[in-house]
Amino acid sequence: MPKMFSSKRILLSHDWKWIIHSLGNLILDQFHSLEDMGTLEQIDAPQTQSSSSSSSSIDSNNHPSRTPPPSSPSSSACRNRTDLSTDLRLGLCISPSSQSELPFHSTPREESFNWPPIKSILRSTLVGKQSHLGQRPSLFVKVYMEGIPIGRKLNLMAHYSYDGLVKTLGHMFRTTILCPNSQPLNSGIFHVLTYEDQEGDWMLVGDVPWEMFLNSVKRLKITRADRC
Amino acid sequence: MNYFPDEVIEHIFDYVLSHRDRNALSLVCKSWYRIERCTRQRVFIGNCYSITPERLIQRFPGLKSLTLKGKPHFADFSLVPYGWGGFVSPWIEALAKSRVGLEELRLKRMVVSDESLELLSRSFTHFKSLVLVSCEGFTTDGLAAIAANCRFLRELDLQENEVEDHKGQWLSCFPDSCTSLVSLNFACLKGEVSLGALERLVARSPNLKSLKLNRSVPLDALQRIMMRAPQLADLGIGSFAHDPESEAYIKLKNTILKCKSITSLSGFLEAAPHCLEAIYPICSNLTSLNMSYAAGIQGSDLIKLIRHCVKLQRLWIMDCIGDKGLSVVAMTCKDLQELRVFPSVHLGNPAAVTEEGLVAISKGCPKLHSLLYFCHQMTNAGLIEVAKNCPNFIRFRLCILDATKPDPDTMQPLDEGFGAIVQSCRRLRRLSLSGQLTDQVFLYIGMYAEKLEMLSIAFAGESDKGMVYVLNGCKKLRKLEIRDCPFGNMALLTDVGKYETMRSLWMSSCEVTVGACKLLAKKMPRLNVEIFNENEQEDCSLEDGQKVEKMYLYRTLAGKRKDAPEYVWTL
Repeated sequence: MPKMFSSKRILLSHDWKWIIHSLGNLILDQFHSLEDMGTLEQIDAPQTQSSSSSSSSIDSNNHPSRTPPPSSPSSSACRNRTDLSTDLRLGLCISPSSQSELPFHSTPREESFNWPPIKSILRSTLVGKQSHLGQRPSLFVKVYMEGIPIGRKLNLMAHYSYDGLVKTLGHMFRTTILCPNSQPLNSGIFHVLTYEDQEGDWMLVGDVPWEMFLNSVKRLKITRADRC
Repeated sequence: MNYFPDEVIEHIFDYVLSHRDRNALSLVCKSWYRIERCTRQRVFIGNCYSITPERLIQRFPGLKSLTLKGKPHFADFSLVPYGWGGFVSPWIEALAKSRVGLEELRLKRMVVSDESLELLSRSFTHFKSLVLVSCEGFTTDGLAAIAANCRFLRELDLQENEVEDHKGQWLSCFPDSCTSLVSLNFACLKGEVSLGALERLVARSPNLKSLKLNRSVPLDALQRIMMRAPQLADLGIGSFAHDPESEAYIKLKNTILKCKSITSLSGFLEAAPHCLEAIYPICSNLTSLNMSYAAGIQGSDLIKLIRHCVKLQRLWIMDCIGDKGLSVVAMTCKDLQELRVFPSVHLGNPAAVTEEGLVAISKGCPKLHSLLYFCHQMTNAGLIEVAKNCPNFIRFRLCILDATKPDPDTMQPLDEGFGAIVQSCRRLRRLSLSGQLTDQVFLYIGMYAEKLEMLSIAFAGESDKGMVYVLNGCKKLRKLEIRDCPFGNMALLTDVGKYETMRSLWMSSCEVTVGACKLLAKKMPRLNVEIFNENEQEDCSLEDGQKVEKMYLYRTLAGKRKDAPEYVWTL
């Protein structure tokens, strides 16, 4: 039995449970995704090599498939080859506003891995600390799934990594949320997780370190993977 | 001087202690070289791959203290993949085979195995001091061997290591006859220790001056330990969270009053705000305070604490103290020499620190010479003022959390601000840059930073010129580490001889290609040029035009190393 989400979960009243149950059946009928929940990867928050006990992989993005952040416009042409492969893996449409054309000095969205430069042991101590203190702040955000008008609310502070978040949402919405690097194994309909940031843009979840995500997320949306 | 007998020269050399001075002595003439090498007791090797252990032992048979550093600095931020290297075992094996009477071993960023620790503990009867900083690869079993076998151990100092806990009672392995401990630091260990063994060890160590506990040591044990060791000067508190009404806490408060000799405090790995009041009585004696792990403490409590710390010279703190808190530091800690402000990963912490806090510090603390400052923003005006107020900086490391953020007031790059720093601080040896920066800042650095030895650059610069300014200008440069900058082949190859005057160069996510690295390696046989190829496809051969993701080069007399993992290609 997969582990259900943490004890911070809101207890639903009976009426709500009935509504969600009905909606859940609706989703099942339409998408037939339940049997595949165990076989697909979730968004894989990259692991550190440290044996620290923290469940969150804050030293994110030391992943071999990451591309370097945008460099100056004159050299952006050289980067196109690697950019393309990442974009393809993400299953994204390659639009004119792709990242290789961002000027180097704008707010880079990918300039985040292993930044700020603090030692992993300090990082993991601090994140571990948040879970031990009673006065941990909560951050409830709205979560909608495409096609369903009634949303849910989720406490992001109850999670420490993308991994936990995706698992929880997968259970909440009875679907499978893909990680950027995986290919769907069959032709079922799958979802990806997106969020609205402070600037009003909708972004794919998983690119920036967890803490940076927490700082910028306003709400979440689960959208169909084939709609980019 | 050549007319003096050797014994006299030896005696004079005894007064020359620093590594650089002794290195200089050895270059004067052959007889000085000979005398120096036979009398040298302390050796510092900044890069363990620059020389073989055998050669070291051959030159310095009287070696007693060895300091070794392994992985490049950016390994601290997970930029160096697992298994890169930095293994200490060849060194310990070579030393064990030789007749060196090793007494002290200090390692930084190295991979240490339990077998090595066991061998170390058995091979040197007078071994006194083991200091491991940011190391990994060992478990508490290795520590047990050290505890059990080093009969005259004075110092066991574990700083920020990754240690696997094997639940053995390593502390209990110190024999009853061990009474020589002066310094014991196990704050980084995650597991539990035998409290009884710890208390007995402290009780029989009258010379114990420095003790740093891990978070498993509860408040009541801390109180008992402090009772037994009133002579402690440096204390690292593990767990410090308790009900303020509890008897244990009240007892601790009374015990702390007796510990007048404590001048350095750290830890607070588990801390609740109200418990800090217990420390107020000894704050006025503190010269060093490290609260960088105390995530549970709010800024207001930190400020209350700082107000008592009038003698502070070194302060490591979280940014939740805020700009206002730094003003309090500036008013209170007039003797402050070193400040580190770390970023808290708390959500809902709006401002943290900005240029305001730093300027306040610079106005209030003229003796400041070392700074590590994580902030949300910085301005040119702020940096210019800091440069004016504090011309004595030796280490200046600024990290803006949004790495390419310009001056928010003028939207200009921070070139002028950092330029002011290097122009004013003529003694600057270490500099880290951040924020929006063009090639101009590197022009300033090349022009003014004459004593600069270590430079860290990230997300900065516009063209190869930037790197060239630095390589041409900074004559004393030893370590250059660059990530995510548009520096390429032209800059890399502009002065290949320069790299033999430096310890190492790191470039990651820049514009350097495989071909250029190959060319460099060919021209400079005494450099090891390593490229990390982390792609999953291992069968891909490196084409010359391919961009290099990570490159690390260093001068060496030891040739290509044999312990490199598969993904490291030494060209």
